[in-house]
Amino acid sequence: MKRARSGDEEDPRQNASPAQPQSDGDSSGSGCGLSSADMQHKEDSPGTRREIRSKYRELILSVQKNREDMLSASNNKLTEVLEKANKLFQDVRQPREAALDAQLLVVTTDLGNEKASQLSAEGASFDSVAFTEHLLSYMGLKRLTNGEDGQQNGAAFGYLPQDAWQKVAQRAENCFRAAPSFHYMMGSFHAEPPPPKQRIERQRKAPTKEVKRMMPTQLKKMGDSHQEATEKEVERILGYLKKYYQDDPTSPILYYEFVIDPNSFSRTVENIFHTSFLIRDGLARMHLDSDRLPCIAPVEEGEVEAGGSSIRKQCIVSISPKLWKEIKEAYDIRNPLIQPSNMQPE
Amino acid sequence: MSHRKKPSNAHGSSQSTSNAGPTATQEEEDDATFTQPSTMQVQKGLEKLTPAQVDQKTAEVVQYFLVKDQKKIPIRRADLVKHVVKEYRNIYPEIMKRAARTFDQVFGLKMVEIDPKNHLYILINKLEPVTGASPITNPTNPKLGLLFVILSVIFMKGGVVRESVVWKILKNLGVDIGEKHEEFGDSKKVVIEEFVRQRYLEYVRIPHTEPVEHQFRWGQRAEVEVSKPNILLFMGALHGQEPQSWSQQYQEAHRAPNSSQSGTSSQR
Repeated sequence: MKRARSGDEEDPRQNASPAQPQSDGDSSGSGCGLSSADMQHKEDSPGTRREIRSKYRELILSVQKNREDMLSASNNKLTEVLEKANKLFQDVRQPREAALDAQLLVVTTDLGNEKASQLSAEGASFDSVAFTEHLLSYMGLKRLTNGEDGQQNGAAFGYLPQDAWQKVAQRAENCFRAAPSFHYMMGSFHAEPPPPKQRIERQRKAPTKEVKRMMPTQLKKMGDSHQEATEKEVERILGYLKKYYQDDPTSPILYYEFVIDPNSFSRTVENIFHTSFLIRDGLARMHLDSDRLPCIAPVEEGEVEAGGSSIRKQCIVSISPKLWKEIKEAYDIRNPLIQPSNMQPE
Repeated sequence: MSHRKKPSNAHGSSQSTSNAGPTATQEEEDDATFTQPSTMQVQKGLEKLTPAQVDQKTAEVVQYFLVKDQKKIPIRRADLVKHVVKEYRNIYPEIMKRAARTFDQVFGLKMVEIDPKNHLYILINKLEPVTGASPITNPTNPKLGLLFVILSVIFMKGGVVRESVVWKILKNLGVDIGEKHEEFGDSKKVVIEEFVRQRYLEYVRIPHTEPVEHQFRWGQRAEVEVSKPNILLFMGALHGQEPQSWSQQYQEAHRAPNSSQSGTSSQR
């Protein structure tokens, strides 16, 4: 099989630098050394040269392609290749063929090296297939039945549980003398964040949108007044509340109508203060009517539960002179529902 | 010609931050400006400072180490000197000595120079790992499992393994480097970048291979941090064999610590 003579582009390299054998180690195989006297031999036709080179390339390709095959300890394919190369080398005349021979040498030595490392002189061999099988069992692999098709492999792989790798990692931990990772101790991360509390707060706030905190300051102001006086006032107001309620049980008493004294802002404040005691003690209750305005009503005799109650909410009422005036005008309050007592300083 | 570092850098691990895989030239530059002071110089330096100052600087070094070690990336001496030690560099050996003592006595850790040439340090646990499964079950990073598999395979196969072997084994375990893995994401990247950067693995190009192939070895960190006998114990448990049945590996595992650096491979 003669190849057609193309432009022979390979020719310029004919007398180029000699081959650089890059063998990684010693290997008995293709020999070394060219005798230049042989260059004059009759076999020195380009066709033969090309043939030799192509055979070399064939051998190199076969080694690269059939790598796995050659590595197998069960055959002598690698040795066969080397023997073929040996024979071919007899006919090598020019540096280019020698270069190819050297290349073949490198590839086969590589393989030889690997093959040698596969040999274990003594002791059990390590079989990676067995290893993976065992490891998969350890990881808790759930194999698929024949009917279903597995993932990548084609051969049904099955499903690994979520924590499979975690399990291996945990078992593997004891093989590492790793320094534990340094982290700040910022306390328990498992504490529940308080969303319930927030929700309650929001519920509290909803019915009392216009209110601000003023009770504490009121308390400070009233700190001087007698306990008894306060109690009496509270009772008196309760009396008023009941009276108005009895007058017309069906119509709800508007809270602001009840507490506001159009003639005195400070008395209004006192009224609010005293009314709050009624609520606290469960003697009166507040609710929002259909217009979402707060209303107050006394609690029936039988229903009074001092101290504890199932649905108790708290709210904070505040009032300012400006607000007082506005409400006065809005509700058109002319007369105070809670008559000022004679004892009050104003 | 540290052909260890450069090929692994060529895989783009040094692109992102300055922490990832130092380029050889830059770290040599930084390091070149630092010469280890002599004992005399250290003595003189110490005289000029108060004990409190030295303690403070030592504490800073300790903290730097601890935080840097979170990601298991080795600490470079050049970085340490530049960012922490700074003007105390003339008493650097004394500071390092004290820091090592702190690690040893306070934290139970060992400060190890895993690369004497490039001056890289890591922290490892002073205590030997517990044999068998750990009694404490705190959540472990599953990547450790992946690393463990690779390290075991390398060890059982004599210390060097072609990358194709590793990829095949991983694939059999459901980790396909061609696909995104549920837990590891880009598993190939984790193996050849993260583990290499942490110095658990070495990923070196095999010369004369076409297409380019690499081989895996144990990295410098693995050599000091990983317990070969324990790996064998696990292997034994897994296969239902005695660890001694793998006699070569057993010998290697129980070899004296000094010679364990070279591994079993007789290449190079």
